[in-house]
Amino acid sequence: MHFAPLPYLDPGSGSFLIQLLIAALLGLGVAVRASWGRIKGWFGIKSQPKADEDDDESET
Amino acid sequence: MTTSQKHNSRQHPASFRDPSGFLFSRDKVLYRQVNRKYEQEYARLMESGLYDRLVKTRLLIPHVEADQVPAESDLAHKIIQPECVPFISYPYEWSFGQLKDAALATLSIQRRALKAGMSLKDASAYNIQFVRGKATLIDTLSFEIYEEGMPWVAYRQFCQHFLAPLALMALRDIRLNQLLRVYIDGVPLDLASELLPLKTRFNFGLLTHIHLHAGAQKRYSGVEVKSRLATMNKQAMTGLIESLDSTVRKLEWKPGGTEWGNYYDITNYSDAAFEHKKQLVREWAARVQPSVVWDLGANNGVFSRLAGEAGALVVSSDMDPAAVEQNYHQVRGEKTENILPLLIDLTNPSPSMGWANEERDSFGARGPADMALALALIHHLAISNNVPLLQVADFFGKIGKWLVIEFVPKADSQVQKLLVSREDIFPDYTRAGFEAAFRQRFRIAEAVNVRESERVLYLMESL
Repeated sequence: MHFAPLPYLDPGSGSFLIQLLIAALLGLGVAVRASWGRIKGWFGIKSQPKADEDDDESET
Repeated sequence: MTTSQKHNSRQHPASFRDPSGFLFSRDKVLYRQVNRKYEQEYARLMESGLYDRLVKTRLLIPHVEADQVPAESDLAHKIIQPECVPFISYPYEWSFGQLKDAALATLSIQRRALKAGMSLKDASAYNIQFVRGKATLIDTLSFEIYEEGMPWVAYRQFCQHFLAPLALMALRDIRLNQLLRVYIDGVPLDLASELLPLKTRFNFGLLTHIHLHAGAQKRYSGVEVKSRLATMNKQAMTGLIESLDSTVRKLEWKPGGTEWGNYYDITNYSDAAFEHKKQLVREWAARVQPSVVWDLGANNGVFSRLAGEAGALVVSSDMDPAAVEQNYHQVRGEKTENILPLLIDLTNPSPSMGWANEERDSFGARGPADMALALALIHHLAISNNVPLLQVADFFGKIGKWLVIEFVPKADSQVQKLLVSREDIFPDYTRAGFEAAFRQRFRIAEAVNVRESERVLYLMESL
């Protein structure tokens, strides 16, 4: 593994590989949701913004 | 011991892993040295607005830059003084809800960090503390600069420190949080995978982040990952964090079915006795004016709240996970800032542990308190656990200067229950025997018979 900088904790090869696999899959989901939002936008349907960290007062 | 004695400073024994800096104390004040190695990251944290946003939402401990001689000058970039955390607690002392909130806080910080072009380089549960009631990151140096393509280096740690214990607690047995006391770097995923019920393999989050993750760790252990393959775009990173977040959020545990969950509904004393006890605790706390109170055997924290009315920090500990969970839910619901519910078994309190037995302090070492409460507790220590009364007095004498303690006599039905199936080998367990033992360690300032009960409440001062 080569990243700049190298992590100070060993992230583990297996953990790295499975993460790449899972994240690739989940990333697709994120992309599909984003496009779905755009498609709905064409028809004038607004997606509800997620109560998230844009709201600085939000509790976790 | 990895302590530096330079310039009258002592390096914190748990602060040695990360080369970005370390904690040290000087004249009883805790500082953090930021090393030159971390200069760029520190600048990004402070200048990108990330620090301000995290501090504003109380997700990160605030600090000021301090004009202090560095503890290790050769390495130093800056010295910062973080806000003092009055009581440090550990994940194996947290209820389910506390660990869950700490997990969600970590993910929330990671999402905010990504927006500012940074990423958490560790996701240790020990970096989170409950500060004024809220899960807060106390390690200011946990951030690295994020470059698109980087995977999350803290992914494994997050799964071990948070996801695995939460899943085990929610879906196998609440008591499995105690695995964190054995495995200081979190629950090994192969162990979690073995212990979790079969149904968790049909839950996408648990299947991937625990079961498949554990399999991959075993299969690819020590294999070199080629850097051109080991990249993931920001969308993938976002997907990963969202997935962890929703997997954690779906894990639920409802208190009930454990020993004390409904203790106050099944007590043997009247409303008048309960009210009298409350009144005495309130009066004595007002008289002693403690800054720190340890309520031992606090159940869901009714008396902790009275003792904390004047603003004292109350460490409200109990050995029952349901009681601690209820206590924490109330703290959250009422946004109480000075009550810290903790899971502590007084017959076997948290030991000092970790590297050189110094990384995590024992429960006792985190004292002393100004005042301890030991209400409806003595019979559990002296009878259930056979501890001689003088040794109980010794134990409380070390905890703090003032002690509010309730003597529950043998005639009391709660004590009778403890003796129903065993020999009564406690001839000294009488009011006179109790007072004689405690007088060797304390001055008895008050002794009041609780109304409509045979119990006696004492206010004592340690000799």
